[in-house]
Amino acid sequence: MAESTQMEVETAAQTVTLPAKPTFKPLKAHEMSDGKVQFRKISVPPNRYSPLKKAWLDIYTPIYDQMKVDIRMNLKARKVELKTRADTPDISNLQKAADFVHAFMLGFDIPDAISLLRMDELYVESFEIKDVKTLKGEHLSRAIGRLSGKGGKTKFAIENSTKTRIVIADTRIHILGAFSNIKVARSSLCSLIMGSPAGKVYSKLRSVSARLNE
Amino acid sequence: MSIAKASGFEALEKLMSTEPPVFLAPSSISEVARTASRYLFEKLKPFNPKSPFDQLLVDGFDAEQIWQQIDLQCQPLLSSLRQDVKRFAQNPKEIRKLGNLALKVSHEDDDVDEMDMDDDELEATESEGDEEEEGDEEEEEEDDVEEDEEEKSGDHEGIEDKFFKIKELEEFLEEGEAEEYGLDYKNKKGVAKRKKQNLRDDDDDEEDEDEEEDDDEFGAFAGGDDEEADKLGKARYDDFFGGKKKETKMKLKDLSEDDEAELENQGDVKLSTHEKDRIKLQSKIEQMEKANLDPKHWTMQGEITAAKRPKNSALEVDLDFEHNTRPAPVITEEVTASLEDLIKSRIIEARFDDVQRAPSMPTKAKREAKEMDDSKSKKGLAEVYEDEYVRQANPAFAPTTFSDELKKEASILFKRLCLKLDSLSHFHFTPKPVIEEMSIQTNVPAIAMEEVAPVAVSDAAMLAPEEIFSGKGDIKDESELTQEERKRRRAKKKRKFKAESAKDPVKKARDDTTENPKTGIFLCSYMTFRLLRVFEIRK
Repeated sequence: MAESTQMEVETAAQTVTLPAKPTFKPLKAHEMSDGKVQFRKISVPPNRYSPLKKAWLDIYTPIYDQMKVDIRMNLKARKVELKTRADTPDISNLQKAADFVHAFMLGFDIPDAISLLRMDELYVESFEIKDVKTLKGEHLSRAIGRLSGKGGKTKFAIENSTKTRIVIADTRIHILGAFSNIKVARSSLCSLIMGSPAGKVYSKLRSVSARLNE
Repeated sequence: MSIAKASGFEALEKLMSTEPPVFLAPSSISEVARTASRYLFEKLKPFNPKSPFDQLLVDGFDAEQIWQQIDLQCQPLLSSLRQDVKRFAQNPKEIRKLGNLALKVSHEDDDVDEMDMDDDELEATESEGDEEEEGDEEEEEEDDVEEDEEEKSGDHEGIEDKFFKIKELEEFLEEGEAEEYGLDYKNKKGVAKRKKQNLRDDDDDEEDEDEEEDDDEFGAFAGGDDEEADKLGKARYDDFFGGKKKETKMKLKDLSEDDEAELENQGDVKLSTHEKDRIKLQSKIEQMEKANLDPKHWTMQGEITAAKRPKNSALEVDLDFEHNTRPAPVITEEVTASLEDLIKSRIIEARFDDVQRAPSMPTKAKREAKEMDDSKSKKGLAEVYEDEYVRQANPAFAPTTFSDELKKEASILFKRLCLKLDSLSHFHFTPKPVIEEMSIQTNVPAIAMEEVAPVAVSDAAMLAPEEIFSGKGDIKDESELTQEERKRRRAKKKRKFKAESAKDPVKKARDDTTENPKTGIFLCSYMTFRLLRVFEIRK
């Protein structure tokens, strides 16, 4: 008992003002990796080769100028390579740029893919039709047709109401958007795959999107 | 007489030996019967001093006549016998006296008595044999009973006679009850015994030797508590299931002493009030103790299941429990009348308690529901998010949405429509709407406008004169001008022209010299000419 009281007295006496907590600036990409350069390599599928060539400047400009990340196309390996520079402000810039390029490779348009550079909270989700339901032959074709709708109107309806972008590549489906929006879009797409008519999906979308947009 | 006696005795014995049914059949036994009856008559004669006959005249007489003779003799005998019996009942000592003093006589008397008894019995059987006599016998018995009853009247003067007194009746009844219920009074032991014996003697029922034994037992019962064990040992079947008297005796013996005490009370009137109260209290106490010992009624047993109580017993009991619901109102005529009055008054007042829709909470204005757009969105995803962000952050800078533009267009169209509709009523109530927009107004003559436009438009020219021409002074036409005025105008014109030409004379001069020398010379000459002329005018 006596010892404890002594201890308390000692600690009380020792309350000296500690030095201020040091604040450091965030590390740059280079400093973080101790001067090493970081790479990202994104392979280009053959069907995206010519669109890449057409939209190369639209890709290059924002990455190089705003993200401050080096970008180049490796023609031989058919890859787009990204590299950090000395003045890359944030390490996440490289990843964002990589995501942006990857989204383009999946099939998204440049203005849609640019949103990945600008916003943090956007993601890309991919799944296959066979994950939802095993369909073969004509059923599969019909399912794909159901998903897109006439002239793509069902797909656009989903995109507009949920603020996402959808790419239907044969049996693969990619969705770009915020997490909750992706969920809504995915559920409506799944219901379409399962066989519900478009009108039903619209009605559901209407209610859900109204709630989402509040 | 002795011969008659012997033959009579024999005849009597003979009669006694014969079976009773034989009496009913006439003929053979009649002679014997006559002799027997004559013998008996002679025997009885000394006891009855008043008897009119010395001998019973039997020969050639009818049964009726014989009977009349017997009756005549025996009637006073019977009454005297009864009196004697009563006397003995009240004073038992006299019997002993009688017995001790004249044993023989008593024996004889007993025999005589017995014989008399038998005589009576024979007479009774004879009468029964002759069916005509039966009714008389019964009537006699009834008369006797009635006489007894009459003798026992006490208080009731209307009923009472010298023969019938109620007090005596009561005493008789009590005696009977005492006999029946086996009293244990030590005081009245002997009396009871004798009473019973006398009662036995009094009764004219067909009683055999068994009765004597029973009476002895009976007397023994009444005798004492000490002998109870013996009594129980001596108990016979007849005691339990025999004559009607004996049944009740045994049953009552099984009851508790309280009942006996009660019956004692019933039998004995002389208890004091305190004793009576005590007895009542005791009986109550006994009752309560008994109730406590017995198993309780099911309603008092605490938790009871349906199996433990009798069937449908809960229906008979008033169960008290709390009802959560209000009991249904009993609809009487008054209730309905009151309701109807209320309804009528409400209708007159027009004060119906209609359910009013609850006012909805003040919510934010419903966000405009975006119409489902089927076409490919023109904006990229980034722009979509950008617009959303801007709208949230700076509502003012937000670019108008498609719906906003539509709204504007719609509002404009509607205003126009309203204007047209209001003009139909000559703008009587509505001021002209102020549409601030640039519109070209043509200076069309009014008539043309009137034809096309509604009546409300004014008949003046569309444009005001000021709008047409804004000028000062007296405006004259060319034909109206005087010479001086013409000159003045020309001069003004020239001055103006000169002022303008003075601004760019250099340009004109340069152009002339370089390009065309001839024209240049001509122009110079002309110029000098003109100058001269000007100076001349000036002078």
